[in-house]
Amino acid sequence: MNLPAGREPESESRPAPAPEPAPMQASRTSAAARLTSALGARLRSWEGFLAALLLCIIVMNALTSPSFLSVENQINLFALSIEKVIVVLIMTFVILNAEIDLSVASMMGLSACALGWLVQHGVPMPAALVACLLIGMLGGAFNGFWITVVRLPSLVVTLAMLIGFRGLARVLVEDRSIKAFPEWFEALGQQPLVGPFPLSLILFFALLVLAVIVLRYSGFGRQVYVIGINLEVARYSGIDVARVKMLLFTTSGFLSALAGVLFAARLGTVRGDMGLGFELDIITIVLLGGVSIFGGAGSVYGVILSILIVLYLRNGMSLSNITGHLQTGVIGIILILSAMIPNVRGFLARVARPGLFR
Amino acid sequence: MSSPSADPPPGAGAAPGAAPARAAPVLEVTGVSKRFDMTQALDDVSLSLHAGEVHALVGENGAGKSTLIKILTGVEQSDEGEVRVEGRTVHLANAQEAQACGVAAIYQEPLVFPDLDVAENIFITHRDQALLVNWPRMYAKAEDLLASLGVRLDVRAPARGLTLASQQAVEIAKAISLEVKVLIMDEPTASLSDHEVRQLFRVARQLRDRGVAVLFITHRLEEVFEIADRITVLRDGEHISTRPAGEVTRDLLIRDMVGREVDQFYGIGGDWRSRTIGRQVCRVRGLGREGVFSGIDFDLHEGEVLGFAGLVGSRRTDVALALFGIQPADRGTVEIDGRTVRITSPRAAQQLGVAYMTEDRRKLGLAMPLSIAANVTLPVLRRYLSRLGLVQRSREEAAAEGFRERLRIKAPSALHVVGKLSGGNQQKVMFGKWLNTRPRIFLLDEPTRGIDVGAKAEVHAMVRELAEEGMAILCISSDLPEVLAMSDRILVMREGRQMGILGGSEATQEAVMSLATGEAGEEDPDAGAGRAAS
Repeated sequence: MNLPAGREPESESRPAPAPEPAPMQASRTSAAARLTSALGARLRSWEGFLAALLLCIIVMNALTSPSFLSVENQINLFALSIEKVIVVLIMTFVILNAEIDLSVASMMGLSACALGWLVQHGVPMPAALVACLLIGMLGGAFNGFWITVVRLPSLVVTLAMLIGFRGLARVLVEDRSIKAFPEWFEALGQQPLVGPFPLSLILFFALLVLAVIVLRYSGFGRQVYVIGINLEVARYSGIDVARVKMLLFTTSGFLSALAGVLFAARLGTVRGDMGLGFELDIITIVLLGGVSIFGGAGSVYGVILSILIVLYLRNGMSLSNITGHLQTGVIGIILILSAMIPNVRGFLARVARPGLFR
Repeated sequence: MSSPSADPPPGAGAAPGAAPARAAPVLEVTGVSKRFDMTQALDDVSLSLHAGEVHALVGENGAGKSTLIKILTGVEQSDEGEVRVEGRTVHLANAQEAQACGVAAIYQEPLVFPDLDVAENIFITHRDQALLVNWPRMYAKAEDLLASLGVRLDVRAPARGLTLASQQAVEIAKAISLEVKVLIMDEPTASLSDHEVRQLFRVARQLRDRGVAVLFITHRLEEVFEIADRITVLRDGEHISTRPAGEVTRDLLIRDMVGREVDQFYGIGGDWRSRTIGRQVCRVRGLGREGVFSGIDFDLHEGEVLGFAGLVGSRRTDVALALFGIQPADRGTVEIDGRTVRITSPRAAQQLGVAYMTEDRRKLGLAMPLSIAANVTLPVLRRYLSRLGLVQRSREEAAAEGFRERLRIKAPSALHVVGKLSGGNQQKVMFGKWLNTRPRIFLLDEPTRGIDVGAKAEVHAMVRELAEEGMAILCISSDLPEVLAMSDRILVMREGRQMGILGGSEATQEAVMSLATGEAGEEDPDAGAGRAAS
């Protein structure tokens, strides 16, 4: 959003005790000075830090494994986590709005299992797909209803639905796996569609562009930010807060269901525990991207960098034959460190200026 | 980083042990400077407070008053200069140390714990001294303390239900219980009614007579002359003057504060009331909300300013919130242009041409991290969207730039972040935000709260200009001279009821106060209803 790194404002008090007030000097800074200060601010910003971190990871990966930069590897590393990063996009909106949706991974599992169940029961594939996406929208709207109409905290509502959706998924598939999809569906999930890109990747990039445009340039994005900054200010300004939140949660359900369907296509089979625990990975990527858990602050660019950092880090370690569990541990450490660094800076500032509480 | 200078201060070196005939100041500040990034908040400021004086500290917003208070209370540390308490140089590293030195402060918004009772709040800092709380003794002591201040409160009642004024009394009692030597009162009267201000002054004088040094900060000059023994003026972080109150005139004080002459304090000329008032825009009858307010009757005309007076807690804001659809009314009727309307949301209100400017910029008024432009277009964002729903930045900026110039908002550009502006300029941004909705009925809630003299005069001029252009204005204000000077008629409320509407020569300070405090009209509370239509 346009939060210009501006100068300190002219103070309200008059410049001199002279009898006639001196004219206000509205903008003294030259364009060049402004540009350097903006650049400096950008480098010191969270995005700047993430970009530096990402660069280190890319260099390290490229040095240890020559195949890292190859097109197949790049596409492959995206494809392996594509379901998560699609949901990261909408989660960015939800968290910016000062809400949370913990039910996304369960919804992914539910839509995948529903697809398997429907196909197994003889429903034609296209109808089953539409039904799954509808389930996603309905589930999201159900979340939205409790949050906007009954005014329960989203943390509570979506925690309940994390359990509820998952339970439903397990009921549908029980303790088996369903492998009943037509060949074309599995091919869509596993093979390139346009050039080297599979469908899921194309969808992700389309959604990414859409997310950037909506959040940075649209009126809706502005409303999402303002509600996250201060819900009361939004309400007193006549913004339909309930409508915005309802739309966000419905979209969150929809995209989670879409991600679940893509997951099913990629694996070619569904199980009740699909996507178990993904919500935590998704939320941590958003937070690592610099989005404030209290809403109102953060940008899509930070989140894009954070997606790349996590994916590249995992990929680099895989290429160096580091096991999955250790990978998770390393990513955990990176997350802790990155959460600490800005706070360490704040802590040092407090030590330098004792007694400064805010 | 804030180590005091090694040189002993001139003339004060002998103070501690020597017991001089003339009392040394309780608190002395010499050569204090403080810098925040780009701004020099304080520049070589000196100030001394003597036991048994009320010392007023005045200055425009941004003059450095708040910074000085923060240094005295240990919240911030000075870059240069030193603070002495009873002649002893102290280093106030945090609020606890300041308290230990006998310096305490009360603020515009008291910091009480709503769920603890009055006595617990008073002794909150004492409670760790014994393993068990001796409740009967605590209650008895709390009662004594409050009684010594001439305040009657139930010490067992939770602080939640107390009025702002009572909460301040609790804070003052807390300070006394800590045997405070210096009590800083930071704009304590900003949210109080006239009656409550009297009470606070009585308490302040009592403290003075007990030998406490009171540092009193306010934006209201009448109060300075009423309460202060000496007056210090800051401007742009510099010390301008310290004079005995008797030697200062109002004009002199204002000149010191703003560095120029302000001809008309309230900016209302004699011709103001002789303008013609247009046709009726809004007609309100029997408006009420269960358990909050009831029986509100008034008419509002084009170009008219209807003042809303009353004590804090008289529910004036609730009436405005009902008219703006935040908390819709559940009885009575509202007619706009002769048509009965139901206002159930701020959006509905806006569509009827009603705008409400809140009294609380920070919590309800502005999105502080966003630019002036984003704030000014917020209620009518739809107007600035392209067909694809994207914000047209150039149009948005042009609109905000227009308001920046028209309202003389002091900021480098319309893209400047609102949170970095001073209170007065933020208030102007709020004006811009609501004027941008092109309202016909403008509800102003404390439009001059917490802004300095210069900005106040500008706001008054702005209100007058809007009325002259034909806008119907409803103005809630706790500043009685202000509401008297600005309004054509004044509706007085008390405890959720309309006590009457005063117009023309009836509208005097005494008349408004007697209605607001219920001294008159008690026997016939509906007296005002009959006079609703002018």
